[in-house]
Amino acid sequence: MGLRDDIAKILVPELALQARVKELAEQINATYSDADRPLLVCVLKGAFVLLADLIRHLDVRHEVDFMEISSYGARTVSSGVVRILLDLAQSIEGRHVLIVEDIIDSGRTLDYITRNLRTRGPASLRVCTLLSKPDRREIEIPLDFVGFEVPDEFVVGYGLDFAEEYRNLPFIGVLKEEVVSGSE
Amino acid sequence: MTLPDSVESVLLDEETIATRVRELAAQISADYADEDDLILVGVLKGAFIFLADLSRRLTVSHHVDFIALSSYSLGTTNSGAVRLIMDARMSVAGRNVLIVEDILDTGHTLDYLLRTFRARRPASLRSCVLLSKPERREIEVPVDYLGFEIPDAWVVGYGLDFADRFRTLPYIGVLKQRVYE
Repeated sequence: MGLRDDIAKILVPELALQARVKELAEQINATYSDADRPLLVCVLKGAFVLLADLIRHLDVRHEVDFMEISSYGARTVSSGVVRILLDLAQSIEGRHVLIVEDIIDSGRTLDYITRNLRTRGPASLRVCTLLSKPDRREIEIPLDFVGFEVPDEFVVGYGLDFAEEYRNLPFIGVLKEEVVSGSE
Repeated sequence: MTLPDSVESVLLDEETIATRVRELAAQISADYADEDDLILVGVLKGAFIFLADLSRRLTVSHHVDFIALSSYSLGTTNSGAVRLIMDARMSVAGRNVLIVEDILDTGHTLDYLLRTFRARRPASLRSCVLLSKPERREIEVPVDYLGFEIPDAWVVGYGLDFADRFRTLPYIGVLKQRVYE
């Protein structure tokens, strides 16, 4: 299929990805109790694939909600200034909130989201991300559950896109350089 | 597998759902094989699991987008009026739109979505619905891809909730009557 031809290499194959998502779910199960009833906040669009798989391995009682944000500027130069396009459907005051992200890059977007949510008085606020690119970090934010640390390469698949393509690949791949540069 | 107290029985287990999602994806992939501009619009919150699974099974290139709605309901009666909370981000003019919904009940929500998107002049507009309850229908709406027809019971799991609970069960179960009464 065409999309796969644009992939230089597979960074995390499907089976390894699924196994790691299950481990993350087990860590989350161990962190919260049913009484906590954590609220998983999915940051759209990228994190919806992770969320869909993660929750099916969760034993602890939980709920899900969604936020969609738009950062000013392209993904590669995120300014960290964020506009909320879709806010949470419910109040998080006194709730245990777990932010679910696809990737933490500079940390600016996550920093904005955590500061914003903290003003709403949650009982606790933690972060789960599938991928983290420590080389790119500009703002340090503690990450509680991390799937994989990845090098600073253009990764796609499992929710991560390039110009809205490749989100549906069931693995994490590195995009060929000519694909990235060819469209700029 | 132990069911939560509130769940009476399993209507569709994980395996059955996964098989049907694969079939739907194969059908959609075949139908759109010659198109290169397909957008799947998932309806939040309910459709996100279905969308995540369906999208990964598609062999045709496509984009995904989301829309969030809320219905003006009075208790358990649905007046049919729908409020748009978050619109799709992408322009759909001239593109092939496939609306992805978890469940078709009275039909008002899907009818609203189809009318809304048709006004935006897509090249084509179709709907893909995991579950349909024909007995509940108040308004006839076309469904192009349907997962399962089910009886008129309160179902939860695989995206479907009761007061935001049970949404993330990996199967579709029937809620005990005492829970919602």
